[in-house]
Order: sequence, then structure tokens, then C-alpha cells
Amino acid sequence: MMRNFKHRVFQLATAVCAAVACGILAMIALAIVRRGWPAVSWQFYTEQIRLVGAAGGIFYNLIGTFILIATALIVSAPLAVGIALVHGVYLRGSRHQEKVTFLLYLLNGIPSILFGLFGLIVFVKFFGLGKSWLTGGILLGMLVLPTVTVALCERMTTLPAAYLEAAAGLGLRQSQIVWSVVLPQSLSGLITGSLLGLARAAGETAPIMFTATIFAGATFPHGIKESPVLSLPYHIFILAQDSFDPSVGAKLWGSALTLLALVLFLSLLALPWRLRIHEEARHD
Amino acid sequence: MIESMTPLADATERQKMPTVSAPILETRGLWVFAGKRPLLADVELRIQPRQVFGIIGPSGAGKSTLLKCLNRLVELTPGLRVRGEVLLHGRSAYAPEVDVDALRARIGILFQQPVVFPKSIFQNVIFGLRHLGKVARSEWSVVAERALREASLWHEVKDRLDEPASRLSVGQQQRLCLARTLAVDPEIILMDEPTSALDPKSTESIESLILHLKQNRTVVLVTHNLGQARRVADTIACLTVQDGVGRVVKRGPILAGDFDGPIAAEFIKGRQ
Repeated sequence: MMRNFKHRVFQLATAVCAAVACGILAMIALAIVRRGWPAVSWQFYTEQIRLVGAAGGIFYNLIGTFILIATALIVSAPLAVGIALVHGVYLRGSRHQEKVTFLLYLLNGIPSILFGLFGLIVFVKFFGLGKSWLTGGILLGMLVLPTVTVALCERMTTLPAAYLEAAAGLGLRQSQIVWSVVLPQSLSGLITGSLLGLARAAGETAPIMFTATIFAGATFPHGIKESPVLSLPYHIFILAQDSFDPSVGAKLWGSALTLLALVLFLSLLALPWRLRIHEEARHD
Repeated sequence: MIESMTPLADATERQKMPTVSAPILETRGLWVFAGKRPLLADVELRIQPRQVFGIIGPSGAGKSTLLKCLNRLVELTPGLRVRGEVLLHGRSAYAPEVDVDALRARIGILFQQPVVFPKSIFQNVIFGLRHLGKVARSEWSVVAERALREASLWHEVKDRLDEPASRLSVGQQQRLCLARTLAVDPEIILMDEPTSALDPKSTESIESLILHLKQNRTVVLVTHNLGQARRVADTIACLTVQDGVGRVVKRGPILAGDFDGPIAAEFIKGRQ
């Protein structure tokens, strides 16, 4: 009787926790959708910024954010594959394997503003790139590297050892096994990790605010050096400081809704692959 | 240790005996350790060419580990250490100058569960072949057909070579794995309880394949099924566990009465 009661209480407590998590998400989404929806229109996405954000649209902010996350993807994916191979293949069964994992988590814990400062000193100043989309893309790539790598490592760990043994038993070299078995089988991990990483990168402001993005006056990048772009999160950051002006406020919430939708889209895109991983894990 | 050799064999048994020749594969004082704990102790095997060599024993005696020592696949299992010698044609398989990948191509292996790759039937057959680079691309389909015929799977799959291999039955998948190994043209084929996941009919077809294969290849067959060992093996080694360590307690040709004595009790569990 008592045990049953305790069990019920515990169940209730966990249900409350789950409800709180869902509630927070719902509240944020609701607040943003309610205020942002009126601002959303075709013009909002096709026009460029006018009157210091009080009018016009966010066309170039979207373009800038896409350029930044695409660069982040190009920077982080090959690095993640390399690290995951070291972790999952070359250090398989070695005690150094955990050190790599630890370093990844450490990297993941570095505050994003520090990436910004690092980028300012190293890329903007030392390498002389100036404020540029490339600097921002590289920094965002570094920022999401742990996310992408950990997802890929997890996929490689669940790779059935039987595949590796079968391939080795046929006389394939390790590099051939990597190309023909490990990489094709881990692709879903790379896709999941990249999409989740990009969802995070799309919303980051701190790493790019003094390295890659400006508020107004940029269109498509014209080069590599000194070629900043506009971006969604920085746009929101600046507008938020001016939001007492109702016309600015409308644009602010419109931009926020757009960013939320983008992040949600990237996360949902990753979902089928994530489910597939779990499905296969159950079968093996 | 019990050594049953020729003197006990009657005339018919003697006919099954190999003519004494140089062994194709041999182990000398082979030990396997997991950390400091021995898993296999002092294994001495002499495997004659064009024979079926059976390794029998209860589960956990280290049969699979022993098998994987023969083509050095054991090195893929972290934490295992091998001491002693494995000789292929009298030359050490563990010598530093040996190309381990080339060695594994000469000694094929078939596992307990068929391991097909998530690819088409044809791609599975040529999986090893295409990477070894010994056969020109234009010859792949010829070799694939030959391998599938040798694994007696050709007639079942010839019209659907581009279908995913996963659509085949488990028994067919196992024969596909055999074809994949045969395509690489190994001298020796190791088989790790290849029929334990199969139904009786597939088991029968694999067994008759094994007998067919020994015409020009050597087969090392691990099984816990005494009946199977009796049906297909020319020579056997019995592994058993003593104080937690796998040891060979008997080796030689299969003789009448081998499985009536005290050793048999160990294997009763495996009898079907």
C-alpha cells in the first residue's frame, strides 16, 4: 500500500518535470508567435532592412545566417569525421579514447562569448581577416564541433563489431574498412549531429557579434577579408535594445519568430535519422 | 591428456585418415590471455590440407577465440594477447613482416550469424574482391557467378542480384557470406558454428557444401554439435575448460567409440 503510494508520488513528480519542460517551450513559442506573426509577410522576407530596422525586411539577414551556418558546416563536418575516426577506430579499446571524449565535453563547455573574443584576437586581428563571414563561420564551426563529433562517435560506437570483423576477415585494410563500412554506416550520425549543431549555430550571437556580422549596410559578401554579413540573431540583439518603438518591436518579434522556425526546422529535419539510430540499436 | 591416435582405429576409420603430409596450418604452444588471465592454454594443432578439421567443445571453451587466432582476427578484440606460434605453410603468421590483411585474405572466415552488408546481393559477393584489387573490374561478375555457384546459391539469386541482400533468408545469407569469402579465393576457410543460426534444411546444405569445399580447400570448422563433427570432419580437436582455461583434451581422426567415454559427457549438451 505504502509502496504503491510512493510509486504514484514518484510518477507524479516525473510527470510534473516533463510538463514544466513542455510548458517552458510552449510559453516561449506562444509569446514569440503571438507577437511575431503580424509582422510576417512576403515583403518581410524579400526586402532589405530600412530605417534602422523600423521598416523593410530581413532578406539579407537570412542570407547572412545561411552563409554563416553553411560555412560552419563545411568547417566542422570534416573535422568531426576525423576526430570521430580517431576516437572510434584508431583508439578503439584504448584508454586514450575517454580522454578525447573528455576534451570534447570541455570544448562544449567553453562559453560562446570566449569563442567571440578568441576569434577577434586570432582571426580578425592576427590573421587580418577583419570582420568577415569567414571568421564567423569558422568560429561557429568550432562551437558546434563537439555536438557534431559526439553524435558521430555515438553512431560509430553502435556500429556492430560483426561488420568490422567480416570486412577484416576478407582481408580489407583498415583504411578500406573505414571507407567501405565505417563511414557509410555512420552517415546518419553525421547528419543528425550537423543539423543539431547548425540549429545551435544559427541562434548564436556572441561568437559573431564582433567578428562577422554588422547591423546594416551589408548585402552579399564581396570577398573574404573585411566582408561582414547581416545575421538574424544580431539583428534581434540590436532591435531588442530599441524595442520601445512599436514599429521596431514588430520587426523584432518577426525576426525572432523566423529564427525560432529555422531552428525548429533544422531540429525536425534531424529527427528521422535520430529515430533510425534508436531503431537499429534495438535490433542489434 | 588423452591422445587417441592410429593404433585404435579400425580399417574403415583408417581410410578416412589423412596421408601424413606437411600441415597447411599449425599451432605451437598457443596461449591467449585476457589481461593476465589465460583463456586458452598451450594449444597444439596440426591441420592437414584439403581436410575438414573440426574443433568441438562446450560453450565458453574458447573455440571461437582459437579460430580467430588462426587468421589473426583476434587482434581486433581489445584486451586479448596471443603468445605462441601459428604457422601457415610452416611460416609464422605472427612474424612482424607478415602482411596481416593479405593473411586474412588467404584464410577466409564464416561467422555464426551471417554478416551481410546493407548492400545488394552482387555488391556483397564482390565486397572483398573489389578492394583487394587482384581481379579486374570487368571480371567481377564472372568471379561473382563462380563464387555463388560454389556456394550453391547461384540458381536462387541469379535473377535478383541487385536486390538488397537483407531480403534473403538467413540460410541464404550464410551461403552469400560463404560466396563472398570464396570470391577472394582463400586456401583455408574458418567456420565458426556456421549452422547454429540455421534451420535443419539450410544446415544440411551448408554441411554438404563443406564436404564439397574440401576438394580444393581446407576447412576449419568450429561446432558444438557432435553429430555435425561426425558427419563432416576428418580430424577433430576437443576443447574443454579446466580451471577456467580452455585446453585441447583430444585430437586426431574421429574414431569409433570416441564419444562414448568420459569426454563425451562434456559434450552431451551439444548433441542434437
